[in-house]
Amino acid sequence: MFVTAAIAILVTMALVLVRALLGPTVYDRILAANMFGTKTVILMALIAFLADRPDFLDLALTYALINFIGVLAVLEFFQHRVQSHSDTADKSGESR
Amino acid sequence: MTLVFGTFLLSMMVLVAIAIVREHNLFVAVMLSAIFSLLMATNLFLLDAADVALTEAAIGAGISTVLALGALALTAEAEQRHRPKYRWLSIAIMVLALVALLYSTQDNPRIGDPEAPVHQHVAPWYLEQTPILIDIPNVVTAVLGSFRGYDTFGEVLVILTAGIGVLFLLSAGRNDLLPNPRRIPDNTIRLRQHTIPHVIGKLLAPFIILFGLYVQFHGEYGPGGGFQAGALIAAGVILYGLVEGERPSLALVPPNLLYGLSLGGVLLYGGVGIASMLLGGNFLDYSVLMTDPIAGQHWGLLLIELGVGMTVTGVLLSIYHAFAARDPH
Repeated sequence: MFVTAAIAILVTMALVLVRALLGPTVYDRILAANMFGTKTVILMALIAFLADRPDFLDLALTYALINFIGVLAVLEFFQHRVQSHSDTADKSGESR
Repeated sequence: MTLVFGTFLLSMMVLVAIAIVREHNLFVAVMLSAIFSLLMATNLFLLDAADVALTEAAIGAGISTVLALGALALTAEAEQRHRPKYRWLSIAIMVLALVALLYSTQDNPRIGDPEAPVHQHVAPWYLEQTPILIDIPNVVTAVLGSFRGYDTFGEVLVILTAGIGVLFLLSAGRNDLLPNPRRIPDNTIRLRQHTIPHVIGKLLAPFIILFGLYVQFHGEYGPGGGFQAGALIAAGVILYGLVEGERPSLALVPPNLLYGLSLGGVLLYGGVGIASMLLGGNFLDYSVLMTDPIAGQHWGLLLIELGVGMTVTGVLLSIYHAFAARDPH
């Protein structure tokens, strides 16, 4: 049963990868990267049970935590970009 | 089963690698490299290299993405297009290298072959002697910390050197390596104004640091150790910096503490080596630290892993702040 589930996850990963490679917008890729992280966590948990090493679940936990930081970094990046763009727009508006 | 999964994951990695090379939008390239890193870590996990997979997860997928985005915030979003002159020549050289690599893989032993040269050399000795000499379940930690402690000391020095290099590069034209937290303008509207990321981020940060401490001190029994723990603790503080802003984060862990951590870790590692020399052993031979050689090994491993963790935390956080505190204008 674990094998079937693992193969299903691999297929989902391939589908997500198609979205990440084709895009077309940047947001598709952010979502794809995020979803890929989630699938990786599940795949690791499944492999840990397949290989009968439940102690490796530590790793899946790390992935889940780290993935969240990556997503927040992306949000912060866009916020920063939007803000600095509006700042420069304001400045150029004043100088005119 | 491992073979099928491995082939599938490796083929996906090749696709992602080609896409990264061909991509001109740098932000998309960063996203793809995060996926690449996740695939790499899964592969390492499949090959039972849990310690390496943990490092790849914490550094490759997590902190590298944050640092790459920090660098991207200082530069333009799209790569400049240019046509290289000797395009066909470079493609020909690459194809030649590929053929040579493929040819040489013919001689490689199968995955997990017990007759492979790597399993005939020192690995059986390590597996045999670890329970007798060091008595810890995780052989990787024993090899990394004790049998090959000298190499690991070199790696920690390399990390420190890299950190010093990045700090000097990014602080060019300024008097201080990292800015004083009081002098950072607090006008940036970070993620603080969005309630859900703010609250969840603040709630998660202490647990990530706690998990980092668990990985630090549990390295002798499960996957983990100083490198992974340092990366996780740094990731926890970076999360705090992302949701709270650069100034509170740098005030929480001030630059002097970061320098102290980076240098103190290396000094602690080297100090253990010197102490074992003074007690009559070789450099980094922990057996002489205590009257019982095995207890000495345990203490030595604990101390040097702590040193590694301190240096990695200090250097990664310094690099993050060097990017985040820099004014792009």
